[in-house]
Amino acid sequence: MEQVLEIKNLCVVRTDGVKFFPVLNDIELSIYRGEMFCLVGESGSGKTTLALSIMRLLPKSFRILSGKIILCKKEITDTNENILRRLRGNLVSIIFQDPGAYLDPLFNVDKHLQESFHGKQEEFHELKIKTLKEVGLEPEILSSYPHQLSGGQQQRVLIAMALINNPSVIIADEPTTALDVLTTRQIIRLLDRIRAKYNPGMLFITHDLNLALDTGTRIGIMYRGYMVEVFRPQEGKPLHPYTRILMGYSDEKSSDILSNETPQHDRKTEKCVFFERCPEKEEAICARKIGFTWRNETTGIRCIKHERNSQV
Amino acid sequence: MKNFLRRLRKHSRISYYSFWFLIVFYFVSFFADLLVPYHFDEQFRNKPYHPPTKIHFVDNEGKFHIRPFVYNTSMDDPVFRTYREDYSIRYPVKFFVDGHERKVLFVFKTKKYLFGVDRPAGIFLFGTDTYGRDIFSRLLYGGRISLSISMIGVLISFVLGMITGGFAGYFGGITDQILMRMVEILMVFPSFYLMLSLRAMFPLNLSSIQVYFLIVLILSLIGWAGLARIIRGMVLSIKEEDYVLAARSLGLSHWKILVFHILPNTFSYTITAITISVPGYIIGESALSLLGLGIQEPYPSWGNILSSTVGNLKVIGDAPWLLLAGAFIFIILINFNILGDALRNVLDPKNW
Repeated sequence: MEQVLEIKNLCVVRTDGVKFFPVLNDIELSIYRGEMFCLVGESGSGKTTLALSIMRLLPKSFRILSGKIILCKKEITDTNENILRRLRGNLVSIIFQDPGAYLDPLFNVDKHLQESFHGKQEEFHELKIKTLKEVGLEPEILSSYPHQLSGGQQQRVLIAMALINNPSVIIADEPTTALDVLTTRQIIRLLDRIRAKYNPGMLFITHDLNLALDTGTRIGIMYRGYMVEVFRPQEGKPLHPYTRILMGYSDEKSSDILSNETPQHDRKTEKCVFFERCPEKEEAICARKIGFTWRNETTGIRCIKHERNSQV
Repeated sequence: MKNFLRRLRKHSRISYYSFWFLIVFYFVSFFADLLVPYHFDEQFRNKPYHPPTKIHFVDNEGKFHIRPFVYNTSMDDPVFRTYREDYSIRYPVKFFVDGHERKVLFVFKTKKYLFGVDRPAGIFLFGTDTYGRDIFSRLLYGGRISLSISMIGVLISFVLGMITGGFAGYFGGITDQILMRMVEILMVFPSFYLMLSLRAMFPLNLSSIQVYFLIVLILSLIGWAGLARIIRGMVLSIKEEDYVLAARSLGLSHWKILVFHILPNTFSYTITAITISVPGYIIGESALSLLGLGIQEPYPSWGNILSSTVGNLKVIGDAPWLLLAGAFIFIILINFNILGDALRNVLDPKNW
C-alpha cells in the first residue's frame, strides 16, 4: 500500500497575537492510496483545521507549531507558497462544505473547470467532458453560473474541479452537510465510485458517525483537537471509551455524558483530554502523560488503559 | 453583448434607450467633422448672436417646395441684434456643399460639408455666438472634446483606483497603510481648489493638445482617490469569501485571485460608479474651461461655450441658444445616471 499522506505530531495553534490557543494537538494520521479515511468528531474538534493544514491554507491567525505533513513523500510543513501552489490541485485537492459559497458567482462552470485544470490546454476540452460525465453532469451545464445550479449540482461541480487533475489525495470537508438525505447518498456513492476508479487517498470529514461507518475503510475519531482513535469498522469493535459511547456500545447513562455541557479541561495537567467525561477512568493511571500509539500499521489509540491492554 | 442588450432591455426600457442614446451621441461627437455644416472656427462676422435659422418649406408667396430652404438675413438693429429675412432669394438646403478646407478625423483633407446653404446665407441650427460662429457645429466639436476627456479621464482613474484599491485591500499591512494615507492626503483637499492649483503648476500658454491631456490628467488624478477607497473596502470583504479560499485550494496565485476573482466581483459596483462619475468629469472640464484654464478658444468645448455667457446677463437674455451647451451636459448626465443605475443590476449574474 502506497502512503500518500502522512502527518506526524502535528500541533496547530490559534493566536490572537498574545496568547496561544491549541487547536490541534499531536495529530497522527496516515492515508494510503485507494482508501476512504473518514474523520469524525464533534464541532470544534479540529476537523476542518486539520484539512486546511494539509492544504496549508490555514487562516493567518493559525500557526503550525510543530510536526510534519508529508504529502506523497514530500514534506510540505514549511514549503513556500510558490511550491505549494503547484501541489494544490495537482497532488491534493479539497471539496468544501457549502458548495454555493465556494463557487465564484461570476464564473460559469466551464471557467471554474478551466482554472482548476493544470495540464495542457489541448487536453482540457476532452477532459472536462469526461470529468463532468464522471460526476454525473451533462456538458450543457458548462455555461451555467453557480446560482443557476441546485445544491447537488454545485457539489458535483466542486467534485469535478477537485477531480480534474487526478490528485493523489482528495479531502472532502463535510461535503454533504448542506444537502438533503437523498442527495447526500448520491454524493457519497459518487465519491466512493471515484475512489474505486481513480484510486486517490480520500480524507472524508464528517460529523455523522453512521455515515462514516457505512462508507469508510478506516475511521479516525477526533476529540477536542486530539486524534483519539483510528480503527477499521470491519475489524471488530473500537476500544476508546469516547468511540464506544458514540457508537452506543456503552449503556444509556454514559451517553448522557456527551449530551451534557462539555466540562473544562485543564490544559496544564497531563491528564487525558477525555478524563473528565470518561466512564472508565482510573485516577492513578489516566493522569499520566499519554500519546497516540499505533497498534499496527493502520490502527491506533490514545488511551493509556487500552494502550496497555493492546500491548498485552 | 447580445445577451447584455437583452438583459438591459428587460431590466428597463428607459435604460436601454439611454444606452443607445449615449452610443449614438459618442459616435456623433467622434465623427463631428463629417456631420457639421461649418468648421468650428468659421466666422460670419456680420451675423453675431444670430438666432437659430428658420428653415422654410413654404415661400413668401405661399408656394410649397419639397426641398427645404432658408433666406439670407441681415442685421436690422445692431443694438438689439435683431435680424430680418430677405425674401427675394431662396437658398435651398444642399448636401455635400463646398466650404473651407479642413481635416476630417485629423487625417483626410476635404472641402465638403454634409449639408449647408450657398453663401451669403447661413444655416445656423442653434444660432451663432458673438463672433458669428455656428453653435451647432461648435457643440458637436465640443462634444468630442468634452466626452473624450471624460471617457479617458474616467478610464485612467478607474485603472488607478482598481490597482491601488485592489493592492491595498488584498495585501493589507504596510502596503495598505501607505496607499490609503496617500489617498487620504489627496482627499483632504477640496477637489476644485486642487484642480485649480494643479492647473496653476503649468504655464498658461500651452498648445491646445497639451491642455487637453493636462485636463485629462488633472481630472483623473483627482478622481481616482474615492474610487480606490471604496474598492479597497470591497476587496477587504470579498477576500474573506469562501470562493477565494477555494481558488487558493486550486493552486491559483495571489495575483490571479486578485485579478480574476476579487476585482471582477467589485465590477458591479465600479461600473456603476464609473457611469455615475462621467458627468463629474464633463463638469470638471467645463469648470476649468469656464475659468479660462481649460480648452482655449477657438477650440470649442462645452465648458468654454458656456463660459462665453458668463457675466453677461444681457447675452443670456438675447441669445439663450448659447446655453444649449448646458442642455447637452444635462442630457448626457441624466442618461449616464439612468444607465449606471441599470448596469448594477444587469451586470450581476445573480440577477440573470
